[in-house]
Amino acid sequence: MIHFAAIASPINDIADSLGANNLPYAIPLHPNLVHLTIGLFAIAIAFDVAGAFYPLEKRVFRYLALPVTRSGFHDVGWYNLVACSGISFFTVAAGFYEMLLAVPLPGIRSILGQTAIDTMLWHAIGGVAILLVIVAMTIWRGYQRFVWRKDLGRQVSWLYLLCGIGMLLLMGLHGSLGAWLASDFGVHITADQLLAAGADLQEALP
Amino acid sequence: MLELLPPLNDKNLPWLDVIHPIVVHFVIAMALITVVFDFIGVISGKKNLFEVSFWNLIVATVAIFVAIIFGQVEAGLANPYGASRDILNIHSTIGWSLAGVLALLTGWRYVARQKDPANLPRGFLALDVVLAGLVITQVYLGDKLVWVYGLHTVPVVEAIRQGVVS
Repeated sequence: MIHFAAIASPINDIADSLGANNLPYAIPLHPNLVHLTIGLFAIAIAFDVAGAFYPLEKRVFRYLALPVTRSGFHDVGWYNLVACSGISFFTVAAGFYEMLLAVPLPGIRSILGQTAIDTMLWHAIGGVAILLVIVAMTIWRGYQRFVWRKDLGRQVSWLYLLCGIGMLLLMGLHGSLGAWLASDFGVHITADQLLAAGADLQEALP
Repeated sequence: MLELLPPLNDKNLPWLDVIHPIVVHFVIAMALITVVFDFIGVISGKKNLFEVSFWNLIVATVAIFVAIIFGQVEAGLANPYGASRDILNIHSTIGWSLAGVLALLTGWRYVARQKDPANLPRGFLALDVVLAGLVITQVYLGDKLVWVYGLHTVPVVEAIRQGVVS
């Protein structure tokens, strides 16, 4: 088998305009947008669960003298999900941009035994899939709220809640892949990239 | 006694990955969406958005105490170096203060809601802006600890253990 010299990464063409973290700015955007996607989705599902089990909880709230309405819980479930849907397009877009500029440290495997490129590809495909499911669930949630279950106290079906909880578990795994890209593969972390380049952190990051 | 503590991994943690950055999802997202829904509620006149932001504020307030507990443990194991020491100090100070601010805001919001759930005192919007500002500052500082200084990442922990960084 003949070995050819590897083609240099196209990132090298713009290396001069990037920082040590391989980004044109110091702090990556994607991990910050992720706070919003995960937080809004998880709390949306949690409050729809609270709305679904309202008959069991209402004695507790009465004991606490905290006025609570079932529709209020489902409002949180709806509006948080709508916000999650809108923001998550930016989460995925920022993720792809920053993945194009990612330079993972070589020779490392994650706790699942995956290489950096495996982790990145799974995280990319998973991210698009999760965005599609979030949007689909928002449309589904909207039909339940305004059409199918308009006159019912429990605004969402048990299947919807089950899908939501399943998605949260999936997002936990998906988020772990993303976390390892940072903590193990050093993607877009200034100190990790400087150390890999042989720099002295005491001087380079005073 | 020290040998009773769990061993630390290659990220200098007794557990797999950092937990504080996960818990803060629920402080950041819920606090910021509270502010957004308060403003949309006032502008659009959709009163049920005030109920949505009230519950989000409650979640943020509960979550910040959990975030502080994990934050303190992980900060104690972070071995900050150089300027990241100062950043971690400011991040800790704002973090504890934010718990107080969120608790006070939730208290006021609770009282206002008891009086009239469909009305948001206009002064609350001013505090919403302060809250958003504090949260964004806090996120920026935490981001610097992770994305610039790489605290609790494998290469930095390794360098610290080898004595290359202190």
